[in-house]
This record gives sequence, C-alpha cells and structure tokens, in this order.
Amino acid sequence: MTDESLIDERATAAIGTVIAQSSGTVVKKEFQRWAAAVGDRNPLYFEDETARANGYREAVMPPLYLPQVTLGVVDLDTLRPDGIPGEGGTSELIPLPKCPRWMAGGEQTTFFEPVYDGDRITASRTLDDVEEKHGRSGAFVLITSTTRYLRGETVVARSVVTTIARP
Amino acid sequence: MPAFFEDVAVGDEITPLIVEPTTTQLFFFSAATYNGHRIHYDRGWAVDVEGYPDVLVHGPLQAALLARAVTDWAGPSGRLVAFRTQNRASAFPGQSLRFCGSVESTGIDDGPGLVDLVVRCEMDDGTVLMPGTATVELPRRGAP
Repeated sequence: MTDESLIDERATAAIGTVIAQSSGTVVKKEFQRWAAAVGDRNPLYFEDETARANGYREAVMPPLYLPQVTLGVVDLDTLRPDGIPGEGGTSELIPLPKCPRWMAGGEQTTFFEPVYDGDRITASRTLDDVEEKHGRSGAFVLITSTTRYLRGETVVARSVVTTIARP
Repeated sequence: MPAFFEDVAVGDEITPLIVEPTTTQLFFFSAATYNGHRIHYDRGWAVDVEGYPDVLVHGPLQAALLARAVTDWAGPSGRLVAFRTQNRASAFPGQSLRFCGSVESTGIDDGPGLVDLVVRCEMDDGTVLMPGTATVELPRRGAP
C-alpha cells in the first residue's frame, strides 16, 4: 500500500469481519405504514385471507421492508447537522477519513423465506471488501458488504450492498 | 398478471407504474423508515447547503416503487425472490417516474418456475435513474 492510498489501514483490517449486528421485531402496522408510503396496497401485506390463499401463514411483510426491522433508537443530540446519525453510522464502522463523501452504489438481495408480524430478526453485516478504483471522475473507494438477516438459525434474506466513497 | 409460470413468455413487458412523488410522500417514507436525513424534507438544507435543485426522492423509495411494479405484475401467486438495483441518479418531487421492465429469461428450479426480469426507473425523457433485475417465483400449472 502506497502513501497515496485512499484506504485507511483500519478499514483494510476490518475486511472479513462482522462490522455491525442488530436485532428487532417485525410489527405489522409499521410494515403496512411503509407499504402505504410507497403507495403499495398489495393485499398480501394487508389481508390475512388473501395471504393464506396464496400459501402464507398470514399477511406477509413486504420483502424490501426488511432493513427497517432492525433499526435502533437515535438520540437527536447525536445527529450530524444533516440529520444522519453521527454514532454507529456506516462511516464510523468503516473508517475512511480521506473519503468523506459517501453514496449508495447498488444492492442485491435474495429473499429465502417470508417474514411475518412478531418475527424476531437479527441483521449481521460483514465487510467483504474495500477497493480503490480509478474512474473517469477520479479515484474512489468501492465498499462491499453483505448483510445476513436471520430468524433464529434461519437465514431469511441476504443482501450485498456496494457503497462508493470519494475524497 | 400471470397466475402460473406457464403464462409468462420471454419479452413480456410488465405493466409500467407511473408515479410522481410528492413532498408529502417523501415525508411519510422518511417517517416509515426512521430516516432523519434533511435532504429528503428540508428544502432549504437540500438547496442552500447541499446544492441540490430540490429535496431528493430516497433511493430506497425508488427501489420500493420498482419492486411494487414487479409484484403488481406478478400478482399474489408470485413471490419476489431476488432483487437488484443500482443507484444511478436522484429523482426530485414532481418528476414523473416510470417503473417498467420485461421478462429476460425463464427457468424451472426443481419446483416452482423462476422468471428473471430486467427492470428500470426512468424519467419522461428516457433517462434511467435506477436499473435493476428481479427474479419472481411462480407456481407451475397443475403442480400440487
């Protein structure tokens, strides 16, 4: 690694490790509010009868709601000026002080099992890779992490997220 | 909407979903996702401090609308089993967003049928803001 590297040694050392773990319980009204905010009145999310007729136990959680289940509680006096949590945020979990500008790259999620009201979900996030790239708009760091969502021992979904950090 | 895997053919287009997000919808999505990021509800902050033309539509809202277009097309017997999106550009309230896609391939994986779709969120002028792929599982006709 040269002196010019954008990647902090602490970020390199974290590759392959679990960088965050959190748990939460699925609440039907919360996922229904999320669906309504999306304008998605899918009867599978709202009507037990329709869900049962299609092989589900009861009204099922919208799959894309999953990352919300394990969010924590934020103290307002710890927020950054832009309203993002200042503590425990991704930029703190993956230290890249030379690259303060972060943006979402992409996300690929595989859903293995339906999730229901009352399910206890644990999200476990592993840092897969931190790579320096050189694109047309200059150098950046590509961060790849995988989050496994577990209900007990069962992996209900796995999500690979890429984030771009720029100097 | 296809009730069975056999109802789907490569090249089929999903019914496009057209949404013009409002600042009210952005607020409700921020609330539903416990997201305090000011670029989504504080126009003064988004414009004067961060230099955007307006508050921004959340990337995850774009993704959720794209998934909604897929699951609306798939119907209640379809199940979204894989979903991939790439954040290419931001959207702003009042822009007409079109969520669409088509069937790229189909296959059978030891049971239900699997349908692979190529999907996108685009603006009126065809600019793609979010390309993606989705896989939907559908029951096979006559299967128990």
